Amino acid sequence: MDKETFLARLREGLSGLPRSDAAECLAFYGELIDDRMEDGLSEAEAVAGIGPVEEIVAQTVAEIPISRLVKEKVAAKRKRKAWEIVPLALGAPVLMAAAAVALSVYAALWAVAVSLWAADAALLGVALAAVVLGPVQFAQGRASSGLALLGAGLVLAGLAILLFFGCKAAARGMLILTQKTARWVKTLFLRKEGAT
Amino acid sequence: MDAQLKRGLMDVCVLAAIRDGDAYGYQILKDMKPYLSLSESTLYTVLKRLETAGLLTVRSEEHAGRLRKYYRITEAGRQRMAEFQAEWAEILAIYRFITRGGEHG
Repeated sequence: MDKETFLARLREGLSGLPRSDAAECLAFYGELIDDRMEDGLSEAEAVAGIGPVEEIVAQTVAEIPISRLVKEKVAAKRKRKAWEIVPLALGAPVLMAAAAVALSVYAALWAVAVSLWAADAALLGVALAAVVLGPVQFAQGRASSGLALLGAGLVLAGLAILLFFGCKAAARGMLILTQKTARWVKTLFLRKEGAT
Repeated sequence: MDAQLKRGLMDVCVLAAIRDGDAYGYQILKDMKPYLSLSESTLYTVLKRLETAGLLTVRSEEHAGRLRKYYRITEAGRQRMAEFQAEWAEILAIYRFITRGGEHG
């Protein structure tokens, strides 16, 4: 692939980004190719060494905050015709409701993760209390109930430890989901930009 | 390697590459190659991140009939490197403690 083709494909991939970001990125790779050629590589070798365009696009997009992408999109679409505004105004409540639903589902998932931690903490608290109170009862002469309390405490402590791993997995899962969603939302902006 | 750790290391490596003088993108890649192999796209994101954080500045200069960008470390960038060195002195002390334990076991 020659330099022009490479840069054209890169420009296409970055078309949804704020213009200044895309221009800066293109200048960086253009300069890198020139420098590699100056170092004695052929044009094709210099381009091949840069790596796949898709990877560059993905990495560049990942570094740009969603707020910048949204701002760019709003700025680009400021001049709308009247017939465009009507369906937009009608559609806005539906879109907002959809966004609210998505947000509440997300919050509910986090609530599950958080409540798992709370349940684990409660379990551990009860287990500790039982382990402490068991021997006290035993010392006060209630041997059977003291032993039962101690045993129950140990079993609960075991369950709490097991649940701890579940809690960790749930929290990690939520973090991964958050990252993936952010990435997906970004691609949504890029795709729409490319289509119009 | 842990992703967050690698990110921090790359930032400081790029700062180290421009510590003794301004450098352009390809030169940074070549200087770092013996120590840390960095892809071009990664270098770009690292440079952008450092510029946004005010750890380096960029200027364009004409070279062989075209513009080339040179990166210069700022005072904040030097401070970041000093912080990194102080942190790693601590980590190295812990590392020595861990590996010394290994010899006995």
